[in-house]
Amino acid sequence: MTESNYDEIMQLLCDRLSSLTNSDTQITPETNMISQLSIDSIKLLNLIMEIEDTFDVSIPINALTDIHTVRELADLVHKIKSAS
Amino acid sequence: MSSTITKLNAPLTQAFDFQPSSELQLTPTPTLNTLTQQLAGFDTLTSALEYAANGITGYNFYDAKGNLRSVLPYSILRQNARILAQRLFGFGLLRGSRVAIIADTSPEFVELFFACRYAGLVPFAMPIPVNLGSHAIYVQQLRGMLESSQASIALANMDYINFLEEAAEEATCIQWVGTPEKLSGFPAINVELEPNYPDETAYLQFTSGSTRTPRGVVITERALMCNLQGIVCNGLEIKPDDRSASWLPFYHDMGLVGLVLAPMVTQISVDYLATRDFAIRPLQWLRLISRNRCTVAFSQPFGLKLCTLRVRESDLKELDLGCWRAAGIGAEMIRPETLRNFAEKFASAGFDENAFLPCYGLAESTLAVTFSKIGKGCKSIQVDSKTLIDKRMAVRLQAEGRKQNEFVNCGRPLPGHTVKIVDEDGQQLSEMMVGSVLVHGDSVMKGYYNNPEETNKALKSGNWLDTGDIGFLFEGDLFITGRRTDVIIVNGRNIRAQDIEELAEQQPEVRSREASAFGVNDEDGTTTIVLVIECRLTSVTERQSLTTRLQQLVYMAFGVNCVVELVPPHTLPRTSSGKLSRFAARQGYIQRTNLAGQMTFVESGDR
Repeated sequence: MTESNYDEIMQLLCDRLSSLTNSDTQITPETNMISQLSIDSIKLLNLIMEIEDTFDVSIPINALTDIHTVRELADLVHKIKSAS
Repeated sequence: MSSTITKLNAPLTQAFDFQPSSELQLTPTPTLNTLTQQLAGFDTLTSALEYAANGITGYNFYDAKGNLRSVLPYSILRQNARILAQRLFGFGLLRGSRVAIIADTSPEFVELFFACRYAGLVPFAMPIPVNLGSHAIYVQQLRGMLESSQASIALANMDYINFLEEAAEEATCIQWVGTPEKLSGFPAINVELEPNYPDETAYLQFTSGSTRTPRGVVITERALMCNLQGIVCNGLEIKPDDRSASWLPFYHDMGLVGLVLAPMVTQISVDYLATRDFAIRPLQWLRLISRNRCTVAFSQPFGLKLCTLRVRESDLKELDLGCWRAAGIGAEMIRPETLRNFAEKFASAGFDENAFLPCYGLAESTLAVTFSKIGKGCKSIQVDSKTLIDKRMAVRLQAEGRKQNEFVNCGRPLPGHTVKIVDEDGQQLSEMMVGSVLVHGDSVMKGYYNNPEETNKALKSGNWLDTGDIGFLFEGDLFITGRRTDVIIVNGRNIRAQDIEELAEQQPEVRSREASAFGVNDEDGTTTIVLVIECRLTSVTERQSLTTRLQQLVYMAFGVNCVVELVPPHTLPRTSSGKLSRFAARQGYIQRTNLAGQMTFVESGDR
């Protein structure tokens, strides 16, 4: 797993979040998905599905409880991808 | 990586240790049994399992990709549960002690649940965390349940044990916390397992995400057996060639009673998909039904909506849902359009709309209260909206062009149960009059564990259960028109208004009884939670900080967004006794925001 993979993950997350939430908020690694994007459970599941399909990983549901920002989610996906 | 997959494989080695542990060789339990079917009528859960264990049917667990991960025939379940029960004896617990289990969709949960019953202990299922950033609130919710139940031991698999250990830190009642693997390392004490009795508590069912006032419904073996008998004989008319498929969580009454226990007391096989996997890829559930020729599968309307939204034309070609004879629908208000849309979408895949089986129930009555007639589909009636609001009376629509409401027929009470509709003073109303729905019968709970205050609110004199729902009877059939304002249903999840207000009141800026939560609906039926706070803060930054914090807290606890409105003190309407009225608070909010079409008849006030 390389840096470029990480960037790819981050890019996908930002793009998908931007279209899922239809908001004008500029999405950065520090964007808080709960307070700034108010992403609801349905949108979250959509996002997870796309991450899983794109990167061929399985995101454990228990890991999401400590995720607030886009960076934290990207780190998690990267970690899982690297371990697999 | 998640340890779920590896652990789901674990029981396989026990069940099939004579085989190489290749996944390819795993076959699901068959639909047809070698044993003569007995439709419920057992005196306890363990005696039902003793019977089922003589056959070859059982539970099957599938992963997100639809691969069979683990098989648990009733015979192996009995064997494993009895050994686990003997290990549980090592704790020296009194009969009836409570055991908390975080209920993932896994063989281990089912084994532990039955192990508790064999050991004379009272199990209860706790939810798994599903929301982003919910760590702290989830732990608080677990702690609330551990304390309310005074649980002696608590179990969770590797994925959730950390949360449980954190929650148990301050729970004084807890003697031991661990994983099923750890329990398996304890010696089995060689004692004779005693039979259970109908009057004993079978399990607790928690119904609220409150951290301060969780409500654990006490269900006896008698209530459970009575409800199961009604469900399988009268509701579903279960036959030997039936098979179930389910994605419903094991910590919900419909998942546990309807799709774990009901199949077992009729010795039929079930195919499970984890709730998370369904929510991400709902079509997997339909593929399971199609592939394994399942006949009985339940969902909330919301689950059907997800399927309708996500299905592609190419999916329809590979599905054959002609086998699905009982598509049970319950657990939230049923809107006929949701069912129509689903039926329309899946007609080409062989789905028969007569399979729709609307029903009504709640955990306080074990699970089911009424069932519509099997094989007849969803029936509804149109009533005149104006008469409904002005006179609280359902009058069938006579002329075209009048504004109307359509309500689904939820059918008749199970044998031995009675439903009546009463007004605010508890006086029984005649047919077609709208009022509170009350239930009487052997399936009704004994009360909420250790919570006489909530019990007294729910159980009226003569042991009539006040369901908290509003509806009317027509020719003996029940029609639900709405919930009272103490429950808000968003995306299929029941959220108690009180639990949201409680979160708000935990903030230093919010005084007790100065928060009011309720739901408002938009035209297509989507519900939004509104939280109105009486607020003394004047600084814009402080007000914004409170608003954001409240939205985050509600999200983390319940996984939904909410609108926060800060209003000056003394804005929220109170009753003569000083209690906040959510009904009036909602009307006030609607007036302030000019929401059209929201003044409805569905709420009668607060319980």
